[in-house]
Amino acid sequence: MAEMTPSLNSIQQVRLVAGLRWRILRNSLRNKNKMFDLIGLFFAGIFSGVLVLGLAFAFYSGTHYFLSGGRTRGLVFLFWAIFLFWQFFPIFVAGFGGSFEFRTLLRFPFSMRAFYLLGLAYGFANFSALASLSWLFAMTLGAAAAMPRVLPAMLAAVALFVLMNVTLERLTGSWLEHILARRRSREFFVGFFLLAMISLQFLGPLTDRSLNSRYSSVLRTLPYFAPFPPSLAGRIIAGAARHEYADAFLGIAGLTLFVFLFSALLWRRFAAQYRGEEWSEAPSPAPASRIHAKKAPERDALRLLSPQVAAFVSKEFRYVTRNGFALLLLAMPLTLMVLFTSQFASRHPHVGGIALGADLFFPAMMGYLILILMAPSYNNFAYEGRGIQTYFTAPIRFREVFLAKNLMLVVILVAELSLSITVLAIWIGVPSPPFFFATLAAIIFFVAGQLPIANWSSLCFPRKLEFGSLRGQRNSGVAVWIMFAVQIVFGGACALVLSIGRWTGNFWLPAEIFAVLAAAAIGGYFASLDALSHVAEKKKEVLTEALCR
Amino acid sequence: MLEFCCQLALAHTMPDFAICTEKLTRRFGNLIAVDHMDLQVAAGQFFGFLGPNGAGKSTTIKMLTGLLAPTSGSIKLLNIDFAANPVEAKRQIGVVPEGMGLFERLTAAEYLHFVGQMYGLDRNATQRRSEELLEFMQLADRPKTIIADYSHGMQKKLALAAAVIHGPRILFLDEPFEGVDALASRTLKALLSKMTERGVTIFLTSHVMEIVERLCSHVAIIDKGCLVAQGSLEELRAGISGETGSKTTLEQIFLSIVGESGAARPQLEELSWLK
Repeated sequence: MAEMTPSLNSIQQVRLVAGLRWRILRNSLRNKNKMFDLIGLFFAGIFSGVLVLGLAFAFYSGTHYFLSGGRTRGLVFLFWAIFLFWQFFPIFVAGFGGSFEFRTLLRFPFSMRAFYLLGLAYGFANFSALASLSWLFAMTLGAAAAMPRVLPAMLAAVALFVLMNVTLERLTGSWLEHILARRRSREFFVGFFLLAMISLQFLGPLTDRSLNSRYSSVLRTLPYFAPFPPSLAGRIIAGAARHEYADAFLGIAGLTLFVFLFSALLWRRFAAQYRGEEWSEAPSPAPASRIHAKKAPERDALRLLSPQVAAFVSKEFRYVTRNGFALLLLAMPLTLMVLFTSQFASRHPHVGGIALGADLFFPAMMGYLILILMAPSYNNFAYEGRGIQTYFTAPIRFREVFLAKNLMLVVILVAELSLSITVLAIWIGVPSPPFFFATLAAIIFFVAGQLPIANWSSLCFPRKLEFGSLRGQRNSGVAVWIMFAVQIVFGGACALVLSIGRWTGNFWLPAEIFAVLAAAAIGGYFASLDALSHVAEKKKEVLTEALCR
Repeated sequence: MLEFCCQLALAHTMPDFAICTEKLTRRFGNLIAVDHMDLQVAAGQFFGFLGPNGAGKSTTIKMLTGLLAPTSGSIKLLNIDFAANPVEAKRQIGVVPEGMGLFERLTAAEYLHFVGQMYGLDRNATQRRSEELLEFMQLADRPKTIIADYSHGMQKKLALAAAVIHGPRILFLDEPFEGVDALASRTLKALLSKMTERGVTIFLTSHVMEIVERLCSHVAIIDKGCLVAQGSLEELRAGISGETGSKTTLEQIFLSIVGESGAARPQLEELSWLK
């Protein structure tokens, strides 16, 4: 008979999983491409670190200011800011560590308690939690410096606030994961979420712009938010500061109640997972009646292209139209343009004393739109998945793949820019001919010049992205840095050429220079295609490994 | 039925070897996945490529189909040097790669259209063949379903349909029956048998010995990157038992050949903690 293994306690199990995560991270660094990615992430980490530290200083100063000045009601704003960041940021960038699903560990003999603790521990292993903890620590220091006697209340409030936040974040995450397990609901959610985010941008221009009146209206609404956790956390410290200890205890009781409520709900949710809740996406049942496939419509415009390039363009078009996320990204430039125009060029034509007339606003807006629209081209093969193998087994050269992908991008660019130019012309007027033509030539230079580099980046630093998914969706860190560097160089060159026109007083000179640069960039682009085909041959293992996971 | 799958094969004069490799080698750092492999597959053969896990089967098939560059050595498909003329070589072959290589956001018909055009078929031919293939594979009743929503078996059938739409002269199949139910498996076998009858060369890897034994006329066995046996099933049987016409199964042949190299490994009768 087989020997029975001794059972591990919850802490030992959590420790084992932590070790597993560490080994997964360490082993992934053996991959050269992951190493490059990590370097990219390292630089991003430095920026994030500076941001977190800067804000930590702000939270320290804010706490100090509110407590020493007797404006204890203001502390509520700081807790609300942290609460909103902690709860919403993971939905934006849930990429950190998203590839590991701890539910897969359920096949091992985990106790429910260990499973719960593990789930909760995961809540601390993301950027939003770590940043929020730093800011709460800064607030505690600020309270200790401004009013040492509130420190016990501050520590109690922070401890409960942290526990409440991490529990709620895991609860929301778990429910979202459950709802988004199906592809269609996932895509619907992503679309809804993005639209909601864009819509929020319009709240500013719609509301009264006076800062003072905004502040007073927020203060008026504050009592309505009093029963919620961030307000309760603020209430604890405010009560302790004003010697109103009953108020402070009421805050502690309220916050404790929330911790228990969220913990109970989270336990219930995790218990369902623990029992083996099935989230998989089964194939939809076949319809009873036979429906004959419609014949594909003939696309005359594509007849001008070679059959292979036409097939690629056709496929790219279908991929764009079936990718809710990509479609919304297409709507975003125009939406942002309307937003910026309403902010800076229409109702508020003077920013920093500079008149934002059509001559200045038009090229700036076009540059901004190009930046947004060019970004996906740095990871061109992101959505190909295992289909990338077809590009290497089919009798084609990679120049055809690039031609088709870049052609699709150019078509989108032309459509978006034409629409934007029309809207701008109606709203703020047409810029003077030298600026108009200089901008158009600059766009051609900017796009054609960037494409070979974007194509190269797509080959060398590919990253698979999933349709309609928010978790783990980000380009390779190196690709992002390449894009930044290239856009800074090209943007700088464009700004320089535009300035030459102003300095020399010859306003047609930039248009002439850009025309020459655009011609050179187009020539360079076509010359690069063959070279990139060779690079593709060399990088096919990198591509298939990254995309066929 | 599916005449186009075999047209090309008949239209060309058959070369001696459909697949011929010379000293084909692939290294991954210090690991030699495929070591100086000389492989010959005659035109029209149904060829089974066997080996234990990690022996180099997938690496070999990836090199033969252009998915992986060899470190050294040469590949000729129908006398076309793959390195010198990859596009022409690829035009002759159909591939069901590991993981199937499907574009999951297309419908089955759209995917077949795409692949057909990649191989230079005109629109009408692509349309006609797509419809015929979808009917044959019993995939025609879900025209609006995207491939991502297909079951594994349906995806396998579609991958095979895409591999044959241009009428290849050599078909490379990496584990084509893995995860396929008995009904779908019968459909696939019927198509493959028909194709070999008409002169198409099929190169297949599988772990299921019964399938290889039933379908393949010739077999090669690879172990630790080296070709350790190659020939017809009869030749291999004779090599093992010393007499022709013996009833040795392919599994016995495989174990006796690959088992030899594993003979030095300790043979445990039972595991100590399961006594």
